[in-house]
Amino acid sequence: MNGEAMRDQWYPVGIAAQLTPAGRDSLLLGEAIRIACDSDGAALVTDGAGRALPVITRFGHVWTTLGQPERDLFTIPEADQPGRRLVDVGTVLVRCSPLRAVENFLDIAHFPFVHTDILGSEPHTEVQRYEVEIRDDVDEVWATKVSFYQPQAAKSAQGGINAEYMYRVPAPTCSVLYKTCPARPEEWDVITLFVQPLTETTCQVWPWMALFDEDSSMTDMIHFQQMIFVQDRSILENQIPALLPLDPGMEIPTRADMTSIAYRRWLKRHGYTYGAQLVAA
Amino acid sequence: MSSERFLIEGELSAPGFQRWLQGHARRIGISAQIGRADADAVLVTVDGPPALLDAMEMACLLGPIDVWVESVTREAA
Amino acid sequence: MNWTPAALSQDIPSGSAAPGQLGDKDIVIWRSASGRIAAWSDRCPHRGMRLSHGFVRGEFLSCIYHGWRYGDGGQCHRIPAHPELTPPDAIKVPVFAVTESDGVVWVAQKDAEPEAPPPGLAGFSPLRTLRLSARPETVAAAFGGTGLDLRGELGGCAVVVLIQPLPDDQCNLHALAANGADTATLDRVSAALEALRRQAETAEEIAA
Repeated sequence: MNGEAMRDQWYPVGIAAQLTPAGRDSLLLGEAIRIACDSDGAALVTDGAGRALPVITRFGHVWTTLGQPERDLFTIPEADQPGRRLVDVGTVLVRCSPLRAVENFLDIAHFPFVHTDILGSEPHTEVQRYEVEIRDDVDEVWATKVSFYQPQAAKSAQGGINAEYMYRVPAPTCSVLYKTCPARPEEWDVITLFVQPLTETTCQVWPWMALFDEDSSMTDMIHFQQMIFVQDRSILENQIPALLPLDPGMEIPTRADMTSIAYRRWLKRHGYTYGAQLVAA
Repeated sequence: MSSERFLIEGELSAPGFQRWLQGHARRIGISAQIGRADADAVLVTVDGPPALLDAMEMACLLGPIDVWVESVTREAA
Repeated sequence: MNWTPAALSQDIPSGSAAPGQLGDKDIVIWRSASGRIAAWSDRCPHRGMRLSHGFVRGEFLSCIYHGWRYGDGGQCHRIPAHPELTPPDAIKVPVFAVTESDGVVWVAQKDAEPEAPPPGLAGFSPLRTLRLSARPETVAAAFGGTGLDLRGELGGCAVVVLIQPLPDDQCNLHALAANGADTATLDRVSAALEALRRQAETAEEIAA
């Protein structure tokens, strides 16, 4: 398998509240798995031979692995704050590399064009310089001091604001976005994209959110996030090449793409290449 | 227009890295003059508008697959 | 080399872009606000997004992903994330040779632009394009002709059927019918084209 190192990672494979004893079939890194629950409702994930795989239930989702992860699944402390609405957005199947799905989630320059009049609008297209680092202590990619003018930054926002962002990549196919919370400006809203690699060119994305929003209905919050994601899907399924290039020789990354470059460097350093293309294309 | 020196450091001994650097500079329309080139450091003098020098830095940070770039340090030339 | 038919003019209205192919190369065929047709590589040099999903404003085609804007000759004119930058000449989309006549858009490799113009189609009006899962020679045989420029009758009407070869044993048929044919006749031609498709695809399956 391209990217053997990715075997020893935790991946999302379902929503904890939606498990059934009958279960359903899926794929993980090209291999068959089955996601179900036992008679007590506890998650049960098995491989193609029927062997039970390790399971963690966290962030409203069921996580599993085909290998032996060295560490526990990452944590998001903000998610445990009282008063937060925890939203299982619901999965979307995308015909793209799992790594491309994450890279798109880290990108802001597309907001005025793909999420027009919601997350961005012309002429507010300039991407100001921001900061990116690979934090060696936790081995995660972080982008901070990102700001962008948004006409409707969240379901709870009234009118346009200059949204502040932080991006975090704690695992090869997961990203956490911390974003200005319109209802409580001293807190961050948390929006995540957990990606299940089915094959190198197909994935199941599992978005999840932990927000301070007392007014919006769960349905409205879900629809807002699903709408955003479906707009991204039309991009993700039409990028060439299908695999994420780790050599930018046929692309022109600019300073606005700094988070993506840091993500690709981090993937390259770790050998996380399932869904990646090693040469320029 | 700016002129800068990029000090690229890392594991850079793969053949073709210098050609890759020149190729990318050409692709984005800036000039790149390679000075010292060792297995762990390459010095490139680049000329172009600031936004394109930033773009060159972005590409250099990744580089071709058989090269590992640890850092790119920039200074005005 | 000859010109390859890639689309009917009526299917690329002003201010629109559509995907096309020249052999195995993906291209974007687009028409500016002033009506100028162009055929470029269907890939934005920034991060590989298909330009055929982009939007046309005035004389420019912009990529839908980050709004990189391209004009005459595939030249990049603006990078919205860096508005202060005048993009250098080096940043451009590879272009294809394109010509338009008698309601058909024809393309060729830029460095292999045919000297002769495309075949004349005077007396015919564009009808429709059909995609087939059959090789050009199978289609020609089913029609009762040879080559990529079939002339004859379908549905009792004089027609021109231009074959555009595609990869994987597929092709497009760009069909034109004699000027002045009424709606009922055109409906019969259309039905006959679909019958031709079924015939060719069946023949292709049997041959396989």
